[in-house]
Amino acid sequence: MAADEDDKKQILQEHWLDEEFMKDEENKRLIEEIAKENNQLKEEIQKLEAELQEATRNSQIKEDIPDTKVKFTSAENSEDDSQFLNVSCSFQVNSQVPYELQKGQALITFEKEEVAQNVIRMGKHHVQMEDIYVEVMAKPVPLKSGVRFQVYVEISKVKINVTEIPDELPENQMRDKLELSFCKSRHGGGEVESVEYDMRSGSAVITFVETGVADKILKKKDYPLYTDHNCHRVIVSPYIEKHLKKFQVFSGVSKRTVLLTGMEDLDTMDEEIVEDLISIHFQREKNGGGEVEVVRCSLGRPHVAYFEE
Amino acid sequence: MALRALQEEQVRLKMRLQELKQLKQELRDSPQDKVPFPMPEVPLVFRGHTQQGREVPKSLVSNLRIHYPLPGGSALVTFDDPKVAQQLLQQKEHKILMEECWLPVQVQPLELPMVTTIQVSSQMSDRKVLVSGFPASLRLSEEELLDKLEIFFGKTRNGGGDVETRELLQGGVMLGFARDGVAQRLCQIGKFTVPLGRQQCPLRVSPYMSGEIQKAEITYRPVIQSVLVLNIPNVLDPPELHDILEIHFQKPTRGGGEVEALTVVPQGQRGLAVFTAQSG
Repeated sequence: MAADEDDKKQILQEHWLDEEFMKDEENKRLIEEIAKENNQLKEEIQKLEAELQEATRNSQIKEDIPDTKVKFTSAENSEDDSQFLNVSCSFQVNSQVPYELQKGQALITFEKEEVAQNVIRMGKHHVQMEDIYVEVMAKPVPLKSGVRFQVYVEISKVKINVTEIPDELPENQMRDKLELSFCKSRHGGGEVESVEYDMRSGSAVITFVETGVADKILKKKDYPLYTDHNCHRVIVSPYIEKHLKKFQVFSGVSKRTVLLTGMEDLDTMDEEIVEDLISIHFQREKNGGGEVEVVRCSLGRPHVAYFEE
Repeated sequence: MALRALQEEQVRLKMRLQELKQLKQELRDSPQDKVPFPMPEVPLVFRGHTQQGREVPKSLVSNLRIHYPLPGGSALVTFDDPKVAQQLLQQKEHKILMEECWLPVQVQPLELPMVTTIQVSSQMSDRKVLVSGFPASLRLSEEELLDKLEIFFGKTRNGGGDVETRELLQGGVMLGFARDGVAQRLCQIGKFTVPLGRQQCPLRVSPYMSGEIQKAEITYRPVIQSVLVLNIPNVLDPPELHDILEIHFQKPTRGGGEVEALTVVPQGQRGLAVFTAQSG
């Protein structure tokens, strides 16, 4: 009996221990699992944060500049000495602000801002199209943001970039070798005003006294550099400075143009006829309108409409 | 204990994740390149310019200007007909009759650098702010306005600091500060009343998105109508030299043709030729 009791106790105890052990095991597993989940969550959060930051803080604009023919317009004189040492090129870039005109939508531009705002305020308009009245809604056009900036590029007439300079002499000595090599007229060189040598990158900027020397050297891609016993071909390239001015991100607002919606069912009609009918309707003062500059609608495939300044 | 801490952390993480997902969704729903703070508004209008399907350039390029320095003893000759220029260029050496002497000059093609591709990145600037909200009735010149703003925002008691750069933009002014922290402080305050002329103007200060050129590809393109004449000797007075060169390059018998424009830079002087986009 006693032994039985003992046995029972023993079993119970074992069982209890077992349970305790199991609970411990389970706890451990649970902790591991949650920790793992948490780590996954953290990773996911980090990724999302980076993505969001990228999207809001940093954006890239890449533009191909169309080939433009240029023509001599005038001769100028300048007080600014640096202008004579560079060929400079400048231009303005304005991003186009498009609006995708969907099926059943129209854009109408009024000559006066007040008229456009009044049409929007009225909201619903009943426009007669052949023998039916179509209910259209007037709304402001939701426009995207755009960017505008001026680009200035200056190409030096007296400086050149030199790269792939071998790392075989002490800095001061190499600087002298560069000066000596680039003033040799038989290789197209000329009197050197200064040498900026950066040993780490193996590059230098050479400034010549006379304009025209740089052009002559740049006709070829490389140039002989004489060190004590060797002759290296170093790479020469134009010295170019570029910068932006008046960089501006802006949001487009359409004050004279109004978006009209609700013409999805007119797809059997001709776009031009509908445009005329819209124009006639909104021209009338009694309809809350006024002088119309232009109307464009889409009854089938979407159009991309461009907004200008 | 550890379990509870982890469980609490998980709840927190899940909430943060949800928040971010929602932000991402909002970003996707709103116009793509939306910046999360107010930007100056530029009024735009639709003038009937539409396109269907075809890919169109994302930007408009305008006001192209190239300044090309001309050395002393040179001339830039522009012909009506590009063929005349091309013909002249087949011979490098030319002789011009001056003071009863045939003097040698060199004729060269003119090539100008053009940017073909440009890549610009924009990001929120740490040291620059945008000031906006100027009344339309403001009657100040660009310089006057910039001076008044620099005076106001240059003062520490107004929350400002040393102004390093300033630029008038459309619908706003960019101010760049010399020290870190000034821009953030001003943006946090946000609203200022600034004396401009006789008016007290309520202005807004917000973060400025600044741009930087990442890459610009440059190619040299010939100007087909013009030639560059070099090494013109110093034998005549400038007006006389101009006439002699014009007469020479007008004559078809000497390979010339109708001259549209001619600029001479005498020895010892220098000049600048300006080129702009040809219309049409």
